[in-house]
Amino acid sequence: MIALIRTEFTKAATRTRTLIIALLLVGLPTLIVVAINARGDRPDRGDRGEGLFRLAKQSGLLVPAAVLSVTSGFLLIVIAGTLAADSVASDSSWGNLRYLLMRPVSRGRLLVAKAFVAGALIWAATILVTIAALIAGIILFGVHGATVPGVAGIAGGFHLSSGALLLRVVIATAYVAFGFTALLAIGTLFSTLTDTAASAIGATVGVYIVSEILDSISQLGVARYAFPTHYLSAWETMFTQNTYSQDMVAGIVVQLVYAVVFGIAAVTYFQRKDIRS
Amino acid sequence: MAEAVVEVEGLWKAFGDVSAVEDLSFSIERGQVYGLLGPNGAGKTTTLRVLMGLERPTRGSTRLFGSTVTPSCNELFRVGAMVEQAAFVPHLSGMRNLRLWWEATGARMKDADLDGALAIAGLGDAVHRKVKTYSQGMKQRLGFARLLLGRPELLVLDEPTNGLDPGEIREIRELIGRLTSAGATVLLSSHHLNEVEQVCSHALVMNHGRLITSGTVSELIGTTKSIYIEVDPADRVRAHTLLSTHPHVADVQTQGDGLVMEMRDGQRSDVAALLVNAGLRLETIMPTQGLEDAFLDLLAAGDAADAGGNTVGASTTNRSEVVS
Repeated sequence: MIALIRTEFTKAATRTRTLIIALLLVGLPTLIVVAINARGDRPDRGDRGEGLFRLAKQSGLLVPAAVLSVTSGFLLIVIAGTLAADSVASDSSWGNLRYLLMRPVSRGRLLVAKAFVAGALIWAATILVTIAALIAGIILFGVHGATVPGVAGIAGGFHLSSGALLLRVVIATAYVAFGFTALLAIGTLFSTLTDTAASAIGATVGVYIVSEILDSISQLGVARYAFPTHYLSAWETMFTQNTYSQDMVAGIVVQLVYAVVFGIAAVTYFQRKDIRS
Repeated sequence: MAEAVVEVEGLWKAFGDVSAVEDLSFSIERGQVYGLLGPNGAGKTTTLRVLMGLERPTRGSTRLFGSTVTPSCNELFRVGAMVEQAAFVPHLSGMRNLRLWWEATGARMKDADLDGALAIAGLGDAVHRKVKTYSQGMKQRLGFARLLLGRPELLVLDEPTNGLDPGEIREIRELIGRLTSAGATVLLSSHHLNEVEQVCSHALVMNHGRLITSGTVSELIGTTKSIYIEVDPADRVRAHTLLSTHPHVADVQTQGDGLVMEMRDGQRSDVAALLVNAGLRLETIMPTQGLEDAFLDLLAAGDAADAGGNTVGASTTNRSEVVS
């Protein structure tokens, strides 16, 4: 298994596309931090992550939270979807998959290795965003604790020390990365269904976009709790309300359920599939 | 009895309502160079895919070295295969591709015949370039290097010269020739008849997924009924008379320095024996056509049998009787 993982990691990590993603994930947080610095103290318009953006100038340790808030809603989804859905489909489109499978390489183990590598790269991408944001934030805003103002009649304000902020940044990063577990499983399944990488990526990202759209329709009620995107931003309460939301636990459970269901479906289908590419 | 390296028994493979292979049976013994002949869509590649565990048979079985083929079975270690065109990870070098492919199973590179494979592929320093810069011929040669890394006992080659220019085709054929000379058992799928005629000892002809006939290449060519004969010029008239009255011979014509005869049935060896036993000095006896003509005749006869309502099995039996 280790040999397979090493092989798959080499193939995935050495692609030009992976380098471009890495550059994007370093460059974008830097741009965001520069934008936060240039923004001044204009009034909050209530945009996604706006609260975190407003707070971010207090401390460089808050910048990763603001950056994760905006990137986890689309950019990281696209990147994670690409890494997951491309895992098998890229080998199929190159015509290389049959050569891997004309050796005594278990299909189940190969798929697990590919999913593991895709998952590792998704985690690496998320961590890279955090580190880039952290470095840029610290350079521009320094390392301080932060005070979150209260909301009149709803909640009081609170102060977070540097240590608490750093711990919560680590937890947020891990939660965001783990939040793509369902995406990883869905993408891996789609990757086995088609020989075209673009189709698999499009379908995977499409599922998440549809999930986000449906999740915004409150009339769907409790059904929304089962959507893979529903709890993606549950971690933000650590910074805005000083609480570790129960939704984070629910989010982890939902991700695990998707991972098991779609993971088993992917392995089962791949083991029975006629390899024609 | 020689060991059967490949055994295919009653193989059927269907995709939905479409049958790609129907009731195909054949076996290959160690050391044979076996051609799998058929037009595009005959079911050759599907047969090879099932044999390599890439596809599951709808019915029937395939065995390698006596063991039933399943996806990822251990017998695949003993096989070097190139199914359709050679394909690689394009952004990696040829050498990196070879290493990753070999090490994916946990095998150690020192156990591979890397130097021998690279020598046969003959890519030189180009093996360190990214594969996406390779010509199709270079990819095919790298494909040969890959399949030879494990010193395979059986080579499975599917249209190995497809898409190549004449120079590259010659190189690949010479390479196959060297491998077969070294004693490798080979299953070569092709619709290039001269390729099979040059390198194969045995061949199987299939069309529409079904076996048309099989046998040694010389037997297949021998199934053609038009034969060219040269005897000593002094014996030519007598030979003409002898052949004209022979019950196996339908017609005899003079052509240049020889005679062209059309046989009703029987073998070339019957004719040769007739002439030699009559004391004639036989100088040449050969079919007027090569494998290509025989192949086309066989396909046409198979189609005619199908149109006439004959079962393929009956058709196959008849042809087997002719060639065996």
